Amino acid sequence: MEQIFEIKDLNLKYGEKQALFDVNMDIETKKITALIGPSGCGKSTLLRCLNRMNDLIDGCHIEGIVSYEGKEIYQRNYDVINLRTKVGMVFQKPNPFPMSIYDNVAYGPKCQGIKNKKELQQIVKKALVNAALYDEVKERLNDNALGLSGGQQQRLCIARTIAMEPEVILMDEPTSALDPIATAKIEELITKLKDKYTIVIVTHNMQQAARVSDSTAFFLMGRLVECGPTDRMFSRPKEKDTEDYITGRFG
Amino acid sequence: MLSWDLITGDYYATTYDTYFGGTLNADGYPSDKTFEEGIFYSEKWGIALTDGQNFEGKDCVLIVYVNQESPLANLPSKNDENENVAISGGQSITKIIFCNGTVMLSKNGAEAAIALFDNAEGIRDMITTTEGNGIRGPLITTGYLILFTMIIALPLGVLTAIYLHEFAPKDKWYINILRRAVELLTGVPSIIFGLLGAAVFIPLTSTLTGAEGGNLISGSLTLAVIVLPVIISSVEESLKMIPNDYREASFALGANKTQTTFRVILRCSFPGILTATLLSVGRIIGESAALIYAIGTVIKDKIVITEKSTSLAVFIWSIMAGEVPNFELSCAVSLIILIVVLALNLTVKLISRKISFDTNRG
Repeated sequence: MEQIFEIKDLNLKYGEKQALFDVNMDIETKKITALIGPSGCGKSTLLRCLNRMNDLIDGCHIEGIVSYEGKEIYQRNYDVINLRTKVGMVFQKPNPFPMSIYDNVAYGPKCQGIKNKKELQQIVKKALVNAALYDEVKERLNDNALGLSGGQQQRLCIARTIAMEPEVILMDEPTSALDPIATAKIEELITKLKDKYTIVIVTHNMQQAARVSDSTAFFLMGRLVECGPTDRMFSRPKEKDTEDYITGRFG
Repeated sequence: MLSWDLITGDYYATTYDTYFGGTLNADGYPSDKTFEEGIFYSEKWGIALTDGQNFEGKDCVLIVYVNQESPLANLPSKNDENENVAISGGQSITKIIFCNGTVMLSKNGAEAAIALFDNAEGIRDMITTTEGNGIRGPLITTGYLILFTMIIALPLGVLTAIYLHEFAPKDKWYINILRRAVELLTGVPSIIFGLLGAAVFIPLTSTLTGAEGGNLISGSLTLAVIVLPVIISSVEESLKMIPNDYREASFALGANKTQTTFRVILRCSFPGILTATLLSVGRIIGESAALIYAIGTVIKDKIVITEKSTSLAVFIWSIMAGEVPNFELSCAVSLIILIVVLALNLTVKLISRKISFDTNRG
């Protein structure tokens, strides 16, 4: 079993408020890892640590070690831009740019300096096909992306991320703003993407974690309570808190 | 008063002084046109006249039409033998002395004038004037001012707003001072900016372009200072409205700060920039006090960038400050200014409604 991320003794503070306490966990390559827990338990914060999105928040202070492919990402001189091209992210709210569908997907590659039109077209097409969106939008690639439905927008965001050909895709509650049908489509897509990418998904939906993930980590009040293979976590949790949360006694 | 001629006409009336010494065609110059009632046509001379009023509201005899075959369409100038003068529609007759000694003045009226024409064989002296009092010059000046000011102020203002909102360190004392200073500029009376223009920009542009005194460039620079705070604050407002999601999404795709700013943020703030532009244009059109010093109050028909002239708003001041205030013309010009500014403001309203619509959807 190969680990793509190793997290050791991670502590994180937003100003005075500590959001993560001594988190230790590994994330396996080409597997789907679900992070679950009640609101405010720090699961999204942990996710944002993995591609250093917390850098954008003022007053965020991090201690501990997060290694990506054996290299510590919080050391000085680490190439954050490169990290983010390797570790893509899909957000809770679908957030396509207010430009055409084509430009949305081509944005990342263009920022990396790809200018060749043919190459870009191929990248865009491949990404849209892989995000199971191509058939729905191939006629209107030049239309504004904001005209798509919520589910389509979220798949466009996934397409935009995989256009960068990342190793890892981080997903922050990608279906919480969507209806059940759109959610089912995204879940199907996630399972399909597993062969190629390592996926870390934050979710509020226990069934979703059980359905799609290979391993699950449960967080409570900024601490990692338990992590392990999803089957075992949902059938024989070791900790009482985990059992209580999974069976719906709180949260 | 409000007419196309007002907008396209020269401000200064031109006077033509001419005479006719040749012989007329015996058959006259019959016209196939039919003239409305009140317009009188002399077949002998091929000229149609009517009673009218000039811009000052005084009665005058207006030339409606001159047959192109008629000698009147091509007469020698009295002042310069080699120059030819064309009597044409739109001019009004000041005075005609016919060879038989009769004199026609504008107070005689069109019908009497035609009778005199029909009796006469030659013209000793004929003075006609164009109407004048048009606002084409000030209109062009205003156009130039808008163009130059926006070329100077828009990039500067947008970049400043982007710096203040996206790049500047937060809660640093000098950034706060900078922001306060920008806000303060909005409250400064514009006549003080006019003095600034006279003290700084006129000497500056004179050195650079060789202009003497106020000119369009010094005026534009002064206006640029006036509209900068408008642009900075409204673009910054629109930057605040851009959801952080876009920035995060861009960073998560491996874009750096510059790429995020110029490819996503600038694009999203486009409606804000447009609003800022329209507000500034409104301000430029309406500005008068500052321009009195910065480009002068001389009314010009032929606009040269390095010379003095007046914008529409200063034009009102100029015609009202003269010995005979032209109240009617200034009202007409005011109306034009108000209509343009109203249209601009309505457009701004529509655009800002569209912005909120877009962000709701996003």
